[in-house]
Amino acid sequence: MAKELTPQEMLRIDLSPPTQDWMDIPVEIKPGIYCYPAKPEKIEIVGMPNPHEWNPLDDDWNLPEGWKETFLEGMRERLDKHRSFKIFMDICVRCGACADKCHFFLGSGDPKNMPVVRGELIRSIYRGEFTKAGKILGRLAGGRKLTEEVLKEIWSYMFQCTECRRCSLFCPYGIDTAEITIIGRELLNLLGLNINWIQEPVANCYETGNHLGLLPHTFVQNIEFLLMDIEEFVGIKIEPSFNRKGAEILFITPSGDVFAEPGIYTLMGYLMIFEHIGLDYTWSTYACEGGNFGFFTSLEMAQRLNAKMYHEAERLGVKWILGGECGHMWRVVHQYMNTFNKPVPTMEEPVSPITGTKFENAKSLKMVHMSEFTADLIKHGKLNLDPSRNDHYKVTFHDSCNPSRGMGMFEEPRYIIKNVCNHFYEMPENTIREQTFCCGSGSGLNAGENMELRLRGGLPRANAAKYVHEKYGVNMLANVCAIDRAVLPASMEYWCPEMQVAGVSELVANALIMEGEGPRTMNLRGEEIPGRAPAEEESEGNEDV
Amino acid sequence: MGSGIEKLRDLLEQKKGDIVEEWIRRIQHTYPEETASFLEEEGNQFANPIGASINQSVWPLYDEIISGHDSDNLYKCLDYLIRVRAVQDFAPTAAVAVVNFLKDIIREKILDDIESQGLFREYLSVERRIDNAMLAAFDIYMKCRERVWEIRHNDITQRPFILSGGMCASYMLRRGKKHLEKMKCGKNPSLN
Repeated sequence: MAKELTPQEMLRIDLSPPTQDWMDIPVEIKPGIYCYPAKPEKIEIVGMPNPHEWNPLDDDWNLPEGWKETFLEGMRERLDKHRSFKIFMDICVRCGACADKCHFFLGSGDPKNMPVVRGELIRSIYRGEFTKAGKILGRLAGGRKLTEEVLKEIWSYMFQCTECRRCSLFCPYGIDTAEITIIGRELLNLLGLNINWIQEPVANCYETGNHLGLLPHTFVQNIEFLLMDIEEFVGIKIEPSFNRKGAEILFITPSGDVFAEPGIYTLMGYLMIFEHIGLDYTWSTYACEGGNFGFFTSLEMAQRLNAKMYHEAERLGVKWILGGECGHMWRVVHQYMNTFNKPVPTMEEPVSPITGTKFENAKSLKMVHMSEFTADLIKHGKLNLDPSRNDHYKVTFHDSCNPSRGMGMFEEPRYIIKNVCNHFYEMPENTIREQTFCCGSGSGLNAGENMELRLRGGLPRANAAKYVHEKYGVNMLANVCAIDRAVLPASMEYWCPEMQVAGVSELVANALIMEGEGPRTMNLRGEEIPGRAPAEEESEGNEDV
Repeated sequence: MGSGIEKLRDLLEQKKGDIVEEWIRRIQHTYPEETASFLEEEGNQFANPIGASINQSVWPLYDEIISGHDSDNLYKCLDYLIRVRAVQDFAPTAAVAVVNFLKDIIREKILDDIESQGLFREYLSVERRIDNAMLAAFDIYMKCRERVWEIRHNDITQRPFILSGGMCASYMLRRGKKHLEKMKCGKNPSLN
């Protein structure tokens, strides 16, 4: 007679998590947490190695012949080339200070998402394959050999890190786990194991100058559509220039703002601010992408894709570059651009033509952040503002990882918001400024197929946003990052549906009193501003004829 | 002298701290050991959002199960706890089974008292309420999963890449929405 089942056995509810050492728990790649693999043709476009068809759910990943040697040789080269990487492999004492700082750990509860363990995935290979102690003592010295299973584990977790660097803030040794991820992804790219959400934008960017693959006429046409909206909602006709030689300033922003909501409203904001102050600037249809998904592929790819910024500045003969609101764009620009690529000798130290302010911080780089530029305009009283137009918004500010931890910009966006909105509330201090939580979808992880992963990673930020929503009625999450604008709406839709998302420049433009403007009863989203509805729509019938 | 159900409620109220703390501990231990230790130790709700979701849900949930009269509040109490578990690495059963832990804990902690005071019949109604709370948790779980799929769907349809050629997606979507709104109002829209 068969043994009687216990109630637990009856339902097969397994509520006991694994208790083995992390090295003994095999990786499980599940739908919802991984991104689709890179299409081979998108790898070929940029001449990267080993393009091939594979599926993360299959046992056989069709790895190229000699994959192990390729990986280890790549690791050896990088240990020699990047002293930081070598140090990060050697000095971690596994104190655990970083362990509970990662949004993916805090949102998933998966211990392999503790930055220390994510680092150990690679460090264990370093010890097992490169150090004497690890080669002899193996597990005893924290080392292991590179196998297909281990490679799959590395792949899974390198794409469960958004390179936000929050963990590095707490490491007493200054280990930057984001840099370990950057190298880890480079090594995976040697085997053709990128994800398509990164690879396709890289290929597009290489071919057309922007991630979306917009051809020049499409890029212009989309901005023209937004100009029509400005004309409708604001009553102002704006005619910006494209590829105009001799302009004083070149403006570059992420292409996401040209296309998707709510980024397009931020872009409408830029157009209005520049019109208001009469800025001598131009757009480029070649350097038409501020973002750089090459940075999530390899440092060399980041360099190649970044080159167009100075090239275009030189071709158009501008004095300096003004950059829109973006996250990783500013990490690349601020920390790599003028060593990646040589600044153009004809460019000058940026000076605001409106206020005369010298941006000494950008003396070498020759590129200024939109928030620095706008804050300076406000400080000098150059913007005519009516913050009451934003009174229906109770605003909080989400510091994007890269502008905050990557370039230390904390005050400018807050200064702007406080001047253009009457209701501003901070989220709790351990979730903002340098301690800010990532949106959960940065570094090329903003695909749709990994939505569960994105929502897990977005939980710590959403938890703080939900708190200010419940406590103060906050309904607008402002930010200065195009990926934030693309992904936070999905996160908020799940965790805090009453919260909207906007770029700072959209809020500025809402408040901007422009010469010759119409009655301003609508905001840039085409929504009626509460309390400002027109008295009577007399001509409504004619419109529909 | 109160009725049997009142006596039982008093007993459950007296033991509330003990029972709920154990309930929280068991929910924390549905996560791997290292994570469970962290969830137990970190008291700051912003540094420990999973822990916050458990704490914020379970205390009021206990009150609602024992003596609540508000079905909406029952759903409200369960929401954050289940919303978090619905996107984590749990099977659907494991995501909602945490509600049922309460039965085991009550039995372990106060079944002897219940029996000695002759309150077993009354206790059955409490178990029934726990069952109902678990059914409510299943509703919430399903709503969350459906929401995830809706969000995925929206993300795909609003994704810029789907457009090739000439139009701004958001612009067209908004134009389309306006067109529909006008149709609903019985006007004769022009798409120009």
